Amino acid sequence: MELEWAGVPSIAIVHEEMRGSAQAIARVSGCPDYEFLTVDYPWVPIAIWSKEECLDLAEIMAPKVLDALTGQS
Amino acid sequence: MTTAAQHAYDSYEALVEDYFEKGWTDGLPIMPPTPEKVAAFLERAGLSGDEVLGTVPTREVTCTAQQAAANAVMAGCLPEYFPTVVAAVRAHLHPKGNCHSTTGTLSGAAQAVIINGPIRNELGVASGAGCFGPGFRANATIGRALRLVIRNVCRGIPGFLDRASYSTPARYSFCFGENEEASEWEPLHVQRGLAPEQSAVTVHSLMKMVEATDFTSRNAEGVCDTLVSNIRANGIAGDSWLGEDGNVVIVVGHEHHRFFNEEGWSKADIQQYLWPRLNAPATSATDRMARIGKPEGILIVAAGGAGMGASWLLLPHLALAITEPVS
Repeated sequence: MELEWAGVPSIAIVHEEMRGSAQAIARVSGCPDYEFLTVDYPWVPIAIWSKEECLDLAEIMAPKVLDALTGQS
Repeated sequence: MTTAAQHAYDSYEALVEDYFEKGWTDGLPIMPPTPEKVAAFLERAGLSGDEVLGTVPTREVTCTAQQAAANAVMAGCLPEYFPTVVAAVRAHLHPKGNCHSTTGTLSGAAQAVIINGPIRNELGVASGAGCFGPGFRANATIGRALRLVIRNVCRGIPGFLDRASYSTPARYSFCFGENEEASEWEPLHVQRGLAPEQSAVTVHSLMKMVEATDFTSRNAEGVCDTLVSNIRANGIAGDSWLGEDGNVVIVVGHEHHRFFNEEGWSKADIQQYLWPRLNAPATSATDRMARIGKPEGILIVAAGGAGMGASWLLLPHLALAITEPVS
């Protein structure tokens, strides 16, 4: 959100387990409708992932990030 | 039986200050144990005031239902919590619960009160996120009630019969439920011979709590190996008085539990995997034998919220974990 406020298009990626917390932060920051991309299992919530897990996740998420930033989603 | 003297106070503040002065609290304010409230608690549990819940022979202590009710009121319990408090007191005062040792020890052992069965949800006992900590009345006050009984009835007073070098914050209150809805796992009280619909309390005296963190394992065996190494880093000496019935409690966290669910591991599977590895001979000062007499002595409990790749090890003091039904 701070990047957005600074004029940098951005999108946050959060784990499904943390969605509630992220929405709460968005709400208290005055952006209750702020949208997130979410990651779910098998990726665990704390990002101590192997290189292979990171690459697999990046392949899945990169198009979604691009779509979100370009208003395609 | 000994009936408590009745005192009159001009205000709540005056009562609380007098209770502090007399040493009847854990250092926090209490609720006034009025005769009416104590009677309501006893009625809720279907007990007469002189019913004996247990004894501590070495201290010449007999704990009655009236004494437990007074302390449960003081702890902030609601009347409907009292049957659960009664079960916790009975469990702790079981001879193998070893009250005298576990509340007097230099090590400052604490008592974990683990709640199973329908009563968890009826009382709102937390078993998920934050369940070890503040914010949940049932957890906070049921655990506190047991500790106030230990202080005010069993004379576990710091510097007197409580000889803890440091003690622990867990001695204010330590109570949580098993998250029975997290999987098909057999709940702890069922493993210990009670029916699923029977509510129950297990009291486990713990020498220390150790967090077994593991963010990198992605399967059940990996998590189990982490549990083994963390327990063996501390070791469990065992005790001839307890024989082969000694316990360790493993509170399996949400993130670790997932792997057991995915691979279909039951609690019995975990016990069978852990037991020989825990009992293997020591190889160094940081890889010590954890002497548990039987696989069933390893008590597996599901609890905690999502996020942390962690489980908690409640390493025993000189006592057995005792399970009592809530009547």
